[in-house]
Amino acid sequence: MSDIAQVAAPAAPTVSFQQRWWPLAERAIGYGLLIFAALATITPFLWMVSTSFKTDAETFQFPPNFIPNSLVWQNYIDAIAGPDTGRQLINSLVFALGSTVSNMLFCALAGYALARMQFKGKNLIFALVVGLLMVPAQSQIVPVFLIVQRIPFAGGNDWLGNGGTGLLNTYWGMILPTAATPFGIFMMRQFFSRIPIEYEESARLDGAKTFTIFWRILLPLARPAMAVLGVLSFQSAWNDFIWPLILTSQREMATLQIGLQLLQSGPDARWNVVMAMATLITLPVIIVFLFAQRYVIDGAVTSGVKG
Amino acid sequence: MALQSSTALARRPQSFTQNWSAYAFLTPALIILFLSLLLPAAATVVMSLTDISFLRPTNFVWFDNYIKLVSDSRFRQAVGNTAYYTVGVTLPTMALGLLAAVALNGKLRGRIVFRTIFYLPVLTSLIAAAVVWMYVYEPYSGPINGTLTQLGLPPQPWLQSPNLAMTSLIVMAIWRDFGTAMIIYLAGLQDIPKDIYEAARLDGAKTKDIFFRITVPMLSNVTFYLMIILIVQTFQVFGAIYVMTNGGPLGSTETIVFQMYQTAFGYTEFGYAAAMSTVLFLAILLFSIIGTKIMRRGES
Repeated sequence: MSDIAQVAAPAAPTVSFQQRWWPLAERAIGYGLLIFAALATITPFLWMVSTSFKTDAETFQFPPNFIPNSLVWQNYIDAIAGPDTGRQLINSLVFALGSTVSNMLFCALAGYALARMQFKGKNLIFALVVGLLMVPAQSQIVPVFLIVQRIPFAGGNDWLGNGGTGLLNTYWGMILPTAATPFGIFMMRQFFSRIPIEYEESARLDGAKTFTIFWRILLPLARPAMAVLGVLSFQSAWNDFIWPLILTSQREMATLQIGLQLLQSGPDARWNVVMAMATLITLPVIIVFLFAQRYVIDGAVTSGVKG
Repeated sequence: MALQSSTALARRPQSFTQNWSAYAFLTPALIILFLSLLLPAAATVVMSLTDISFLRPTNFVWFDNYIKLVSDSRFRQAVGNTAYYTVGVTLPTMALGLLAAVALNGKLRGRIVFRTIFYLPVLTSLIAAAVVWMYVYEPYSGPINGTLTQLGLPPQPWLQSPNLAMTSLIVMAIWRDFGTAMIIYLAGLQDIPKDIYEAARLDGAKTKDIFFRITVPMLSNVTFYLMIILIVQTFQVFGAIYVMTNGGPLGSTETIVFQMYQTAFGYTEFGYAAAMSTVLFLAILLFSIIGTKIMRRGES
C-alpha cells in the first residue's frame, strides 16, 4: 500500500507536467518555424515592393534600407510610361485571354467525350493524352517554332507551308500551341466522370441532343473545375516567357514579360523602376488567385490527383 | 417531335450515334495536341538525324549529331549541371512541401494565411521572380549581403562565382516550387483516413512515429506523382538562367535546354539542337524510371 503510494506520488505530477506543457512547447516550436518560413518566403516580395518606392540613390545604398525613406510613386509612372508598355499589355491580355478561353472550351469538350461517350478508339485516345502529359513541352520549342512557321497559307506561305513567315509574330501563332493541354483534358475528364449519370439520362429521355446536354446541363455543373482550369490557363499564359520570346521578333508583338526582361537588361536600367514593373505584372495574377483561391486550392489538386 | 426523336434514338444502336459526336467533341483538342506535342516530338527525332539549318540545304547525317554530342565537353558539362540542379531542387522542394502540408493540415490558427503566403511564389511569373532575385542576390546593394555585412560576415558573389551560381539558382527554384508541393501534399493528406491516426494516438504513438510510420508511407503515391512533375519541370530549366546568369560564369549554369536554345536560335543548328532535345527526353524518362524503382523498393 505504502509502496504504491511512493511510486505513484512522484509519477503523477511528471505525467501531467508533460501532458500539459509538451504539446504547448511543440506548438510554439511549430509556430516559430512556420513564421520563420513565411518570412523567408515573403521577403523577396517585400523587397520588390520596398525597392519600387525608393529613389535612385537609395537603390545603390550599402547596407540597403529595408524600409524606403520616402514613397516615390514616380517609379510606377516611369514603368507604365515606357514607350511599348501599352502595346505589351494588350499583347499579354490577348494571349492570356485567348489561351484561357480556348483551353476551357476545348478541354471541356474533349474531357466530356472521354468521360461519358462510347466510341471506337476511346482507350487509345485517353492513353495518348496521359502519355502526352509526360512529354517535356519546353524542350519541344524548336520544332513547334518550325511548325508554326510552316502553317500552310498563313503569312505568305504556299500550300506546303514554304515561302512565308507562317504564324510567326501573330496572336494566332502565340495562342495555338497553348490552346489545349493534356493536363486540362485529363482534369476535365476526371471531373465529368464524377457527375452522376442521372442528370444526362433524364435530359436524353427528353430528346435533347448530345451537344445541348453538354452545353446546358454538364457545363454549368462543371463550374468549379472550369474555374480552376481558367485560372491555371490564364496564369500560365500571362507568366509565359519562352514561347513569346521565341515566336516574336517584332517589338510590337512583345508581351509584358518580355518587356520586363528588356527593361531589366537595358543599358539604363533602374532597379526601382524594374521593381515597380515587376510589382505591376505580378499583381493581376495574385488578385485573380485571391478571388478564386477556394476553387483553385481545393479544386486544382482534387481533380488532378485524386482521380 | 420529342417523341419522334426519342424513338429514333431507341431504335438506332446508341453507341453508333454517340460515336460521331464524340469525334467532333475531341477534334479541336486533338488537333492542338497533335501540332503542339505529338508532331514536334516526332519531328525532333527526325530532325536530330539531319543537319537542318537556315544556312544550307538539309541532308540526312544519321547519327552524326549524337556522336558529336558524346564528345562535346560543353554538352557534358550541361548534362552534369542539369542533373545537379534537378536533384538539388526536387528533394528539398518535396521535403519542405511535405512539412508545410503536415503543419497546415490540422486546425491550426492562421493556416489559410500561411498557405497563401507559401503559395504566392508559385503565382509569380518566372521573369518577375528572376528579376527580383537578381536584386536580392546583388553583391553590393542586395539585402542578403547587406544582412551578412551587418552580422559581421563576409558578403558573397552569389551569381558571379562559378561555385555559387548554380546553388543560388537552386535556392530560388525551391522558393518558387515548394508551394506547389505543399498543395499537392495537402490534397493527399485529406485522403488518409482519420481513424488510423486516432488508433495510433490511442496506442500512445509519438508525433515523430506517426509522421514516419503512417503519413509518409500513406503518401507514397502522391510523392511519386509529385516527383515526376518536378523532375520533368526542373530538367527543362531555362528562363531563370536566360535572365539571371546567361549560362555563366564560365558555363557553370549552362543547362541542356539553355544550350539547346543557343544552338537552335543562336547558331540556327536545328538538327544538333534536336539531338540535344532527344537526349533530354530520354534522360527525363530514365530519371522517372529510376525514381519509380526507388519508390517501389521503399514501399516493400
